[in-house]
Amino acid sequence: MKDRPTLLLADDDATIITALTPFLERAGFHVLTATNGKDALEKTQSHRPDMIVLDVLMPRMDGREVLRRLRHAGLQTPTILLTQVGDALERALALEEGADDYLNKPFESHELLARIRAVLRRSQSGQASLSTTWRLAAHDLTIDRRARRATLNGQVLDLSPKAFAVLEYLITHPDEVISRERLLQLVWGWEYPAGTRTVDTRMFELRKALGDDPSDPTFIETQAGEGYCFIAPVRMLP
Amino acid sequence: MKHFFIIFSLVLLAIGALTFYLIPVLWQPEPVYVFRLGVGAGIFSILFVLAVLIQIVLAARDWGAEQSTRKVVRERDESHRQFLRRLDHELKNPLTGLQATLTNLREAESDEEIQQGVENATQAANRLGHILGDLRKLSELEYQMLEHRPVDIEQLVSEMVSAACCLPAHRGRNVKLLVSKVPVLPSVLGDRDMLGLAFYNLIDNALKFTTFDDAIEVRVREDGRSLFIEVADSGAGIPPQEQGRIFEDLYRGENAQEIEGSGLGLPLVRRIVILHGGEISLRSDPAQGRGTIFSIRLPAERKG
Repeated sequence: MKDRPTLLLADDDATIITALTPFLERAGFHVLTATNGKDALEKTQSHRPDMIVLDVLMPRMDGREVLRRLRHAGLQTPTILLTQVGDALERALALEEGADDYLNKPFESHELLARIRAVLRRSQSGQASLSTTWRLAAHDLTIDRRARRATLNGQVLDLSPKAFAVLEYLITHPDEVISRERLLQLVWGWEYPAGTRTVDTRMFELRKALGDDPSDPTFIETQAGEGYCFIAPVRMLP
Repeated sequence: MKHFFIIFSLVLLAIGALTFYLIPVLWQPEPVYVFRLGVGAGIFSILFVLAVLIQIVLAARDWGAEQSTRKVVRERDESHRQFLRRLDHELKNPLTGLQATLTNLREAESDEEIQQGVENATQAANRLGHILGDLRKLSELEYQMLEHRPVDIEQLVSEMVSAACCLPAHRGRNVKLLVSKVPVLPSVLGDRDMLGLAFYNLIDNALKFTTFDDAIEVRVREDGRSLFIEVADSGAGIPPQEQGRIFEDLYRGENAQEIEGSGLGLPLVRRIVILHGGEISLRSDPAQGRGTIFSIRLPAERKG
C-alpha cells in the first residue's frame, strides 16, 4: 500500500464533491473525482484507485451498474455505495452487486471517513470478500443471506428481519467493533427516538436465539461503551 | 352504450311490426286493420319509451360516476398541492436560517461570531435532516413490510417514556405511567419499532405542547379484545377547529407555529396505528381547560 491511498469519489452533486474532496485530502487520501457513472468506470479502469466511494443515483450510468461492470471485469476495488433509500431490499441489492459497505445520505463526513478506513483495513487483511458472500458460517451457525435465514445446529432460528440484519452485518464484519449508532443507521436507516436502546432490544433477541451468554460469548461480544463485535471465526460456504 | 340504444330501438321496431302481423294469427276472429296497427304501434311506443328511460338513467349514472371521480381526483390534486405548499414552507425556514448564517460567517470578525454561526448552521442542518427523516418514515410505511411479531406493549411504552424524558429539552419533566392491574397484559401483533415510534411521538408531543408544570399521564389498559394506550396532558388543549386537521400531513396548528417539529409526527402515528388494525382518537376541550387525551386502540393478539 502506498503512503497516500488513492480514492475515487463519484457523485453527480458538485457541492458534495467540493466539500468532501478537501476533507478527504486532509485525512491523507489522494482524491480523484467523477461526476457521472461512465466517468467513474473509466477512471477506475485507468487509474486503479485503492478504493471507490460511489453514489447510486448518477447520470449516464448509475452506481450499481458501474459496480456490476467493474466486478464483471474482474476488478475487486473495495467500494462504498452511497444510497438514498435505507430499506433492506436496497441493501441486499447493494451486496449482490459487490459493494463492501454502504452509507445512507445524509451522512457526517467523519462517518464516511471511518467507513473508508474500515473497508481499507479489511481489504488489506483479505477479508473483503465476506461482505460479498451469500452463505457464511461460524461454529454451528450458518446464515444464508439470500434466503434471509440463519440456522444453529441445523435448526432454523426464529429471528425478526431486523435481528437478522444485525446478525448479517456483524458476521460480515468480524473482529470489528460496530457501534450501536452504526447498527441503528444501517438496519433502521433513519434516526429512531429510543435510539440505541432499540439496538439492545434486538441484540437481546438475537443472543437468546443464538443461546449466546453475554458474559461468556461464543459469537457476539459487548465492548462496554463502544458497541458489539462478532468474535467467532467466520467461514465462507459455497 | 349508444350502440345498445340503436340495436334496442331496432329490436323494438321489429317486435312492433311482428305484433302487427301476429295479431290476425293469434286473435280470432281477425280484428280490423286499424286496430292491428294501433296495438302494434302501441306496444312499440311503450317499449320505446321504456328504452329511452333506461338510456337516460344509464347516462345519468355514468355522468354521476364521472363527476365523483373528477371530484376525487380534484381533491387528491388539492391535497397534493397543499402538501407541497406546506413542505415548501417547512423546508424554506431552516434554509433561510442557513443562508443568513452563512452570510454572517462570511462577515464574521470574531471567533465568537464564527462559533455562533457554526452552531446555528448545525441546528438548521439538523432541522432539515429531521424533516427529511420523517418524510422518509412516512414513505417507508407505504412500501416497507411491517414486522408481524408479538410486541410487549407495557415494556415498549415504558421504554418510550424514558426515551422522551431523556431529551435535554424535557429534563426534569415528569411523565406518569399507569398500567392497569391485570395479571398479564396481552401483546399486540405488529412492528415493535413502528409502534414505539407512534407512542414516542405522542409522548413527545405532550411534552412539547405543555408547560413545565403541566402533568402528563400515559395509561395502558385492555378490555379483552383490545389494548388502549392513552397519552393525557393538562395543557392548553387543541382548539376544536384544529382537531380534525392535526392528523393531516405537515399541518401545523396555531399554537404549534413556534414549537419545533416537522408537522409529520401525528400523521405518522395515525398511519402506524391504522396499519396495525387500530384507531386513534382525541379528546380536547380548551374552553374547559382540561387538556388533551390522545387514545390509541390496538387489537390484542389472540391466543390459540
